[in-house]
Amino acid sequence: MVHLVTAVIKPFKLEEVKDALRGAGVLGMTVSEVQGYGRQGGKSETFRGGEYTVSFVPKVKLEILVDSSDVDKVIDIIAVTSKTGKIGDGKIWATDVDRVLRVRTGEAGADAL
Amino acid sequence: MKSFSVIFAPMKKLARFKEKETRRAFVAIFSGKMIGIIAILGAMIGVNMLIGGAANAQTATPIQHTANELVNPVNTIWVLVTAFLVFFMQAGFMALEAGFARSRESVNIMLECIFDTCLCGLLYWAFGFAFQFGTGNGFIGHTFFFLHGTPETYGTTGVAFLAFFLFQFAFADTCSTITSGAMVGRTSFKGDIYYSIAVSGFIYPIFAHWVWGPGGWLGGMTIHSLNTFTNGAVFRDFAGSTVVHTVGGFIALAGAIVLGPRLGRKFKRDGGGPLPPHDLNLGAIGTVILWFGWYGFNPGSTLSALDFTGIGRVAANTTLAACAGGIVAMFFVYPRSKKYDLGMACNGLLGGLVAITCPCYWVSPFGAVMIGAVAGIVVPLGVDLLERWRIDDPIGAVAVHGFAGIWGTLSLGLFATGFGVPTADGVDRTSLVKGLFYGGGWSQFKAQFVGSLTCVIVVFGVSLLVMYAVKKTVGLRISREAELEGLDLHEHGTPAYHMEFGQGMTYTTLTGVGSFLGGGSEARAGVGVEKDSS
Repeated sequence: MVHLVTAVIKPFKLEEVKDALRGAGVLGMTVSEVQGYGRQGGKSETFRGGEYTVSFVPKVKLEILVDSSDVDKVIDIIAVTSKTGKIGDGKIWATDVDRVLRVRTGEAGADAL
Repeated sequence: MKSFSVIFAPMKKLARFKEKETRRAFVAIFSGKMIGIIAILGAMIGVNMLIGGAANAQTATPIQHTANELVNPVNTIWVLVTAFLVFFMQAGFMALEAGFARSRESVNIMLECIFDTCLCGLLYWAFGFAFQFGTGNGFIGHTFFFLHGTPETYGTTGVAFLAFFLFQFAFADTCSTITSGAMVGRTSFKGDIYYSIAVSGFIYPIFAHWVWGPGGWLGGMTIHSLNTFTNGAVFRDFAGSTVVHTVGGFIALAGAIVLGPRLGRKFKRDGGGPLPPHDLNLGAIGTVILWFGWYGFNPGSTLSALDFTGIGRVAANTTLAACAGGIVAMFFVYPRSKKYDLGMACNGLLGGLVAITCPCYWVSPFGAVMIGAVAGIVVPLGVDLLERWRIDDPIGAVAVHGFAGIWGTLSLGLFATGFGVPTADGVDRTSLVKGLFYGGGWSQFKAQFVGSLTCVIVVFGVSLLVMYAVKKTVGLRISREAELEGLDLHEHGTPAYHMEFGQGMTYTTLTGVGSFLGGGSEARAGVGVEKDSS
């Protein structure tokens, strides 16, 4: 069985999280720059003396396919390394994945990881 | 309410423009008026020519120009044009620094350069220029504070004094901007303000007085024991390899050492490398703008257009050194990565330019190629050295300006071919500048060595003290959180690059004149209400 772990974290934490996951043997991940809001709401920026509220805050989204037995470990690693304790630290969730296929070899399921 | 109706009356008129008739009428009236104006102007010119012709007929005697009536304006124009070019180097520095840094600190670099320019201008007017070019002793000048009591022209050059001031201001500004290069990404803006005052108000002008100022002790080699050591040769720095670039480079080094590396910067010996640049296009364009500006920096330093063979030679030498520096640096690092490296080619050609700045007047084109080529090796080796010492210099300011500046200064003592010394109206051939390779012996090299060493020791020492003082008092480095968030957001409240400017953003404060800049939904709604009720 394969799970998809998705995490939305603070951008500057990405390096740290990646290093920790690599160290734990996670072989791949997909990263995207995203924007959104949560409890943090938004943030304010200034330009020529005026103040703007930016409703969507830049975050980084990680998507990691892992063997179901590793899900807890991966979530733990992300949670520990990406935590600053301040608002806007993000979220982590995991979902079941029906099918996975490695394009180059045609391997399926956990073998494709 | 009434004031609003006055303001918005033209708006209502503008709205009528949507109608076809209004537009047609406007075009008719506008073109009619234009034809009228052109006709009147034409008539005026015609009449003027008639009157002028009559006047010329009456005074047939040719106008007698004294030499200065031609020489002074020509030299002034030359100095002004080159001053404008040197000033434009700011644009080059901004693009180069921002391009080689990360996107999160772009706004900071832009503002830093703009603020430094404004600050430097005012400080230079108030006392910097007085320290540098005022008469005094060999160490500092003390006339011309706030440009009081300045003569009409500078010395014997015939250059309008204020044009000379402008030219020298552009140099001072360059020096202060070089400094910021090695310090990007982690310097607090407050710290920047304080150390910039020290650099452009004191360190640069006072050191420059020693070399270029009236009676400067290095430029005149007035200390007896040194004079004996150099056999009477004086320290020569034509356009500032030492005075501008080594000074700027070593203040930058002091700043980078006191600041420490940016967070997350790992050095080669620790299995890391430089943080990648965010926009090499910008960096490369900035480099070429700097090269262009150098055509003011070096040829303008003759302060005289009459020495036309001199300025031609300087311009050609400047070009050749840049070409050699860029090519040599690129091929020097090629074996390491098997890639043709844009960043190092940029730094290498800048190193060539920095190196040729001191000797450009006195060397042959061959010498210029050699000097540039060596600079093309000095720069990458300098970058390696800083990497080895774990000093984080994001754009290579120390290697390019500091180390290549030292090489350029020394190179005069090797490659000078025996040209005279430029003066306001020609070349003084009584004292020829000859280097080791052209039969001049070691004298000039020794003088260059003394000048360069003095600069490194004094400027580096003083700026270490200044940087530590700023660090201990107002703080030089930004907090950890702020650095991770990026200087742009933390210090300036806005990133340089929005994903979609305007989307998902609302203007929240409506204060006075500020409101018309926003164009957010609230601002527009407010205006609408006022308009309807008036």
